[in-house]
Amino acid sequence: MPDQAPRRRLVHIVSGVRSGAATTLDRGEVVVGDEDVRRAFTDPALASVSLSVLHPGDSARIVKVLDAAEPRTKGAGGGGVFPGFVGAANATLGVGDTHVLRGVAVVTAGYLPRAQEALVDMSGPAAPLSFLASTHNVVVEFEPAPGADWGEVAAAMRAGALRLAAALAEGALDHQPDVIEELPEPRIVLGDVDGDRSLPRIGVITNLQTQGAFKDVYVRGSSFGGSQPTAVNPAELDDGIVVSGQYGHPALKNPTYLHQNHPIVAALRARHGVDLTFAGLVLSPEPVEQHAKETVARQAAALCGELGWDAAILTKEGGGNADSDVSLKMDALEEVGVSAVGLFAEMAGADGTAPPVVAPPERSPAMVSTGNYDERLQLPAVERALGGARFDLLDTAATDAMDVPTAVVYASLSPLGWGRLTAAAATMASSE
Amino acid sequence: MRVVHYINQFFAGIGGEDSASAPPERRDGAIGPGRRLDALLGDEHTVVATVFCGDDRAASDPASLDEIMQLIRSADAEMVLAGPAFSSGRYGVACARVAGAAQAAGLIALASMAADNPGVAEAGAAPIVESGETARQMGPSLERFAAAARRVAAGEALAGIEGVIASTRRLNRLDARSAAERAVDLALARFDGDKTATEIPQPDFGHVHPAPPIDNPREALIALVSEGAVVPMGNPDRLESARAHKWLRYSLEGLDRLAPGEYQSVHGGFSTVAANADPNRILPLDAAREMERDGRIGSLYQEYLVTAGNGTSVADAQRFGVEWASELRRAGVRAAILTST
Repeated sequence: MPDQAPRRRLVHIVSGVRSGAATTLDRGEVVVGDEDVRRAFTDPALASVSLSVLHPGDSARIVKVLDAAEPRTKGAGGGGVFPGFVGAANATLGVGDTHVLRGVAVVTAGYLPRAQEALVDMSGPAAPLSFLASTHNVVVEFEPAPGADWGEVAAAMRAGALRLAAALAEGALDHQPDVIEELPEPRIVLGDVDGDRSLPRIGVITNLQTQGAFKDVYVRGSSFGGSQPTAVNPAELDDGIVVSGQYGHPALKNPTYLHQNHPIVAALRARHGVDLTFAGLVLSPEPVEQHAKETVARQAAALCGELGWDAAILTKEGGGNADSDVSLKMDALEEVGVSAVGLFAEMAGADGTAPPVVAPPERSPAMVSTGNYDERLQLPAVERALGGARFDLLDTAATDAMDVPTAVVYASLSPLGWGRLTAAAATMASSE
Repeated sequence: MRVVHYINQFFAGIGGEDSASAPPERRDGAIGPGRRLDALLGDEHTVVATVFCGDDRAASDPASLDEIMQLIRSADAEMVLAGPAFSSGRYGVACARVAGAAQAAGLIALASMAADNPGVAEAGAAPIVESGETARQMGPSLERFAAAARRVAAGEALAGIEGVIASTRRLNRLDARSAAERAVDLALARFDGDKTATEIPQPDFGHVHPAPPIDNPREALIALVSEGAVVPMGNPDRLESARAHKWLRYSLEGLDRLAPGEYQSVHGGFSTVAANADPNRILPLDAAREMERDGRIGSLYQEYLVTAGNGTSVADAQRFGVEWASELRRAGVRAAILTST
């Protein structure tokens, strides 16, 4: 890659959020302007939207969580962020400065068909399991227009939330950032496999769930379904190149927010030049058909081999079906001499005694556990709920105390590696 | 101690698969493998009665466990020993449930089966002693079972007793570091040559031996079963769309096909639009009826069995399989077509 000025995040630390007449950033507090909300959600598929604000520690729950995005902008009108939704689909990304409002998220919540019930608790035992419990949340609920197509409703909420996120970040354009983060460029060295080998070159392959309507992920505004594995400058993630439209598997979702803040990209950047060289990012679809899974696995492994990677970390989105995409790629990578590590959620049953993974890799045992999906959590009643009055999975009021599997807590088993949740064996004789 | 031995119809000597629907029954003293077990238990313990039940009945009729427990209580049992069931799934599940219920009722109870028997997950708090894979290992399996039972009866801690299958539970906890940071460490370790490093042990799913092909499908009773979550419209019995813990049965009597609008799929793992437009594409009743009319199959079983295969735990899936097999065998079904989505 040609040398460039360092890619920078201009980070504004957010200490609070409230709504007001006009969008501004007021001594760390984000004011969400009514006019920006109205402008973001003009799609005729929506009858109305309503906006609420939740803070860390609130006795509050969000049910039917759909997606979350971090407010960012590169200039007036967004400067190209969220290409295909806010910026032009062909916007130049991954260069220059991006303003980031850290500590706040724009969250969409409400009923969509095929969306599996997902919840966030802002306090209590589930709070440490979801990144949204530690952000100030601008929660947008919606009423579909009468007779509107559900796909168009989902698209309207997706684009609207991203427009609002970009607009909120615009309030920071004329402010000094609290922190400036310089991002190392990955060494994408196609054909340079004999180059600097003093440190192992480790990259990340992120599978995007591509299973059609309501279970789809977008790259530059288009579904990534049918695509081939593609090497992408990780700095483009910072600018919102990947947007989630995937509303299944609550605990195993990869929200737009976590693509913007990709935890493995961050972990590799943090150690770039220390004990590894950050070798880059490959995005891959997660096709449904077995032969396509196998073909994509082969392609991804070949690409990483060409890129000179020594090791790859694999991430997924979704349940057991998505495990096989990770495992097939791990096997294909090991076959071409690239060490492979995968992140897996366990499905070990409520009592943790069942086999933890349905489709494990064969050539590499190296699996990171993001926790057991089936273990139960007892959640206390809360004062306030957003996203819906009912929690459909249990057919109870959304504010009630409930006993739920970890699987319903939004992004709690984050396949992108955000969480600290893991599962480990506790051996005991069976009658104890 | 007064011991009641639980076994199946085969080891009780009343018949094989033809007797798998036999109801629970009690005989005084030890029979079949219980005679050797009684001898191995020594003078302190005596098998005072044997309770047995057909495998299919025990695994598929919820009432049978209560009946078995009544028979056990009627013998004034102090200890219940169930099995060995080896790798037999239905027998293993029955042994595990009997031992679990007896333990819960305050008796000393142990079951014996192979480590990969689906029953291992069904024993509740009762210990399970590992047996061989097949009845060819009856001798050593009984020796180990009896030795473990004597030590449990003497009040020894389970952890030190040979052959007791330790229940390894995988429990959630918060690590000091994120999964992403741990993944980087694991990648470095693997690159540096540690080829065994992992946070998740390789699972052991056990082995399923395929049944032999049926001789003549033209005379066979055939069942339709599915994990495609096809249920009557409105989902009256509330089948879960994901992580199902139950399965359901619905009648096919008098139906030539599943009419759109009367049946729907509630599966949460795929778009159900096409399935709801024609539910026969998930549960192929129309094609099965055609084959029945043409004489290519004998007849179609009058009910279909259904669950949602979406994020289902392996333990639940194994249990569904055992219960379905028992159910279908009791009904004389010779083959099942399992549609998967």
